[in-house]
Amino acid sequence: MENVVELKNVTKKFKGFSVKNIDLQVKQGFVTGFIGANGAGKSTTIKMMMNLLKPDAGEVKLFGLDYKTHEKAIKERIGFVYDGNIFFEGLNLKDIKRIVAPAYKQWDDTLFYQYVEQFKLPLNKAIKTFSKGMQMKASLAIALSHHAELIIMDEPTAGLDPIFRRELLDLLQELMIEGNRTIFFSTHITTDLNRIADYIAFMQNGELVFNQSIHDVAENYALVKGGLNLLDSDTEKAFVHVHRASTGFEALTDNIKAVKNTFGDTVVFERASLEDIMYYLKGGIHHV
Amino acid sequence: MFNLIRRDVILQKRQLLIFLPVILFFIIIDKHPAWTFLIASIFIPFNTYAYDEKVETNILLNSLPYTRTEIIASRYLGAIVYMLLAIGVTSLALFAFNKPFTMIDIAIGSSLFLLFAAFTFPLFYILKPGHITMVVMISFFLLAAIGPAIVLFLAEHLTAITDFIVNLSVPVLYTGATLVIMVVYVISWVTTTVIYQRKAF
Amino acid sequence: MQIIISNSSKEPIYEQITNQIKSSILAGELQEGTAIPSMRNLAKDLQISVITTKRAYEELEKAGFIYSIVGKGSFVAEQNLEVIREKKLKVIEEQLGAVITNSREIGLSLDELKQLLKILYEE
Repeated sequence: MENVVELKNVTKKFKGFSVKNIDLQVKQGFVTGFIGANGAGKSTTIKMMMNLLKPDAGEVKLFGLDYKTHEKAIKERIGFVYDGNIFFEGLNLKDIKRIVAPAYKQWDDTLFYQYVEQFKLPLNKAIKTFSKGMQMKASLAIALSHHAELIIMDEPTAGLDPIFRRELLDLLQELMIEGNRTIFFSTHITTDLNRIADYIAFMQNGELVFNQSIHDVAENYALVKGGLNLLDSDTEKAFVHVHRASTGFEALTDNIKAVKNTFGDTVVFERASLEDIMYYLKGGIHHV
Repeated sequence: MFNLIRRDVILQKRQLLIFLPVILFFIIIDKHPAWTFLIASIFIPFNTYAYDEKVETNILLNSLPYTRTEIIASRYLGAIVYMLLAIGVTSLALFAFNKPFTMIDIAIGSSLFLLFAAFTFPLFYILKPGHITMVVMISFFLLAAIGPAIVLFLAEHLTAITDFIVNLSVPVLYTGATLVIMVVYVISWVTTTVIYQRKAF
Repeated sequence: MQIIISNSSKEPIYEQITNQIKSSILAGELQEGTAIPSMRNLAKDLQISVITTKRAYEELEKAGFIYSIVGKGSFVAEQNLEVIREKKLKVIEEQLGAVITNSREIGLSLDELKQLLKILYEE
């Protein structure tokens, strides 16, 4: 089984907002970073993966299984971390563990206490007294203690300081040594992804713009800079977005080859960061 | 599913400390035993709703390997389990204080509790979070205040029904009442399950 | 095995890895049959994504520098160093030919060229 998560033509409509025709595959054994601006539909998509929301149309499959018939088997294999605390605020970590642990057949107490020690988490203090970073670590300790094959995280790094973000990435990287593990996480801090992501899924206005390996992204997308005199209605077709200034233009292309054919050496190419791509595509894809 | 039922105790360790004094209070002020049984039964299941109305709790429960049907089933079965426990504890307490009570008191207390649960549980999943405690309070007082009045009203005006009931033999009356309560409880259970299946978090 | 990658380099990271492993093998630092780290361990150590080391290993395999055995890991493949040396020499000859042509065009003498080469070589 190559795809751990498979969304086929998934659509969910809300008042004034909808997620449309999502076709998304998450590859086993890799880290997929899920990016997009706030309100692009990332959380909605994650909720459909977790069966917290049911799509109006389309198909959601995890591990090749359907939620209708295999809900428990699927969730048994998922570790989840959400943005914000979902555990009973007044309880301490020990009690939360006592509630969560029996839900999983594969719960590993030794592993749990190992993470508790590694993260320096207090067992007897109410969760509501934890800092944001500690709450996140607590969620993570719980998510990782039942040998989950798929770890789904919704904005795990939001609101965390750089030091903790780094620690989290280190930890995730360690988790990936085990080859059958898959991580899917959404973030709008794209720098988190440079180090760890293998695939990037990018959402914009409720649609999936692309889901490509970081190599494909690097090979397809680039920033192109050059003089304004080079631009005309024909040559501009190679770009997804063009920004003009009196000093020249800066543009994003998703087809480096075509730009090279059109402009040759008259323009300068630069690697487009994920942030560049997000920024230039914010109006959606429209070849100018 | 047993874990889901057990969860309530872990959640309410502290509240349980208030449980005994409250029961003792009702016993000491000589409230009717049936009333004490009712209060005792309501304690745990309805306290749980203070937690369960939160979106976060629903997200947690639904992300764990439980189905929605199980989550609701744990509510309904848990209510019965905790009712039985509460009846046990209350009986012991009444016994310790040398207060007389009969099986009929237990029957009335638990019937009222089950009916109350059957009417309020579906509401919890229809209403927006934040209103639930209020609704429980209001409906409880309504039930306590108007309930007897309605029964009296029915007894006076619908003589056909009351005559019919009065004429029933005791075993038939009890079996009938039990059946009615069971049916109401199951209907409520099914309704809540259907509502909960459709919820989005 | 020592690998140093630069995030600011224009050269893609997987290429930096393949080039450095290649030179270690050609320089004889990595002997035939030596086990090299698994791609997942290497990714963790270099703090880069798994797909990057995966690509590097795939290219090395294609070029015959390493081979992988499922469940055991990756190893340095047998190198026909003579053949590789010969090929490299041929490339060097061609490149030097171009250098000489360019030098004659601007009137650079052999001694001057040797001087330049010496400085660059020792850099």
